[in-house]
Amino acid sequence: MRLLERLWGQKPSRKSDKKINGTSNYPYAVTRVRAMKSKLLPKESYPRLLNMGIDEITRFIQESEYKNDVDELAMKYSGGDLAEHALNRNLALTYDKLVRITAGELNYLIVAYLKRYDIWNVKTLLRGKLYNASVEDIVESLIAAGEFTYTSMSELAAKATYQEIIEALKYTEYYPLLQKFDGTNLAYIENELDKIYYTGLFEAIGKPRSKDRKLFVKVVRLEVDVKNLINLFRLKKAGVMQLDEIMPLMIEGGLELKPEKLAPLPYDEFVNELQRTQYWDVISGVTGPDMTSLTTLESRLTRYYLESSTILSHVSPISVLPILDYIIHKNNEATNLRIIFRGKEGGLSDELIKDQLVVI
Amino acid sequence: MVDGATAGLFLDAAGMKALGAAIAIAITGYASAIAEKDIGTAAIGAMAENEGLFGKGLILTVIPETIVIFGLVVALLINQ
Repeated sequence: MRLLERLWGQKPSRKSDKKINGTSNYPYAVTRVRAMKSKLLPKESYPRLLNMGIDEITRFIQESEYKNDVDELAMKYSGGDLAEHALNRNLALTYDKLVRITAGELNYLIVAYLKRYDIWNVKTLLRGKLYNASVEDIVESLIAAGEFTYTSMSELAAKATYQEIIEALKYTEYYPLLQKFDGTNLAYIENELDKIYYTGLFEAIGKPRSKDRKLFVKVVRLEVDVKNLINLFRLKKAGVMQLDEIMPLMIEGGLELKPEKLAPLPYDEFVNELQRTQYWDVISGVTGPDMTSLTTLESRLTRYYLESSTILSHVSPISVLPILDYIIHKNNEATNLRIIFRGKEGGLSDELIKDQLVVI
Repeated sequence: MVDGATAGLFLDAAGMKALGAAIAIAITGYASAIAEKDIGTAAIGAMAENEGLFGKGLILTVIPETIVIFGLVVALLINQ
């Protein structure tokens, strides 16, 4: 089939897909990533983790895939900081590995997707500097999985003010936006950074013609929908109804939701409108008027997103989807572990921590 | 006197048989190579993460070898 695909690849209808140099070795990359996915923490381990203290959790992850990271950083940090650093380092190394073992089209799509960590880092740096966090605190939250290296990020974190950081990012695509940052509009800049990321990602994918890109774009659009939906619920809950207040917070390019239609509706009508979407089955049980916390709703939507990406990765087993699925699940695992030990550190009850987890 | 079946062709019956056998081997050999290429790289990918999969990977990699064995059998039958 691939031979035929390659022959057909010359036809003009494919021209909208950007030309990629090199060939992707799909079977190699996909099987390797599937083997990596099988090493993620099984769901049975989360109840056990909830019963442990922070040191025990660190010990537990030291015995799993995070061994090298914990060993390496154990000299410098301890307790929650050690686990946090180990998670971030592991995430960065894993994603870096994905970039290394892929080529051509696969590599192109993964690199475009992982730019989200550049955005994350830029946000962290700005936020850290604005609130005078120490260099160590900022470095702790950096995830060098995008195009910026850990060293260059640490150098940026060591700069005295956010103006210097923005100046240092002069040659990046974020500079025109960052210039508008004046120390008071952080929320606006963060939202716009997110939008830049999604616009850039959709641009990188182009008009999807190949099956690969069509499914890839579907997962990204689903993610946009989930994010928009969570934000809409939060805004509705807070009583925000004005269209011009809501729309700047919405990301364009969703799969099914039309934020401009949903935004001005009162809560009841908004929920009714959602009954026609594919998300209704997931959220129907938790959207009643007596809803006090959005945690369950958010974790259900995230779980739906994770499950959908897995299903799609089975629909097209030899494509970029299994790799994207792994990236999403790995990120979820890191988030779960972070929730557990930060929750423990903050003295939250096990029940509360359990509600926040998204366990597949 | 020229045989009706081979009239107008360059080869005699023995030559055609040899050519048939060659085509049988060549095409099946090529087909198993294509099949094994993908399975082999996939097996290496899996092995890179988990060395325990060596045995399984090896077996799966050589399964398409049956295609060329069928080709060999056909070639032998043709030449009988």
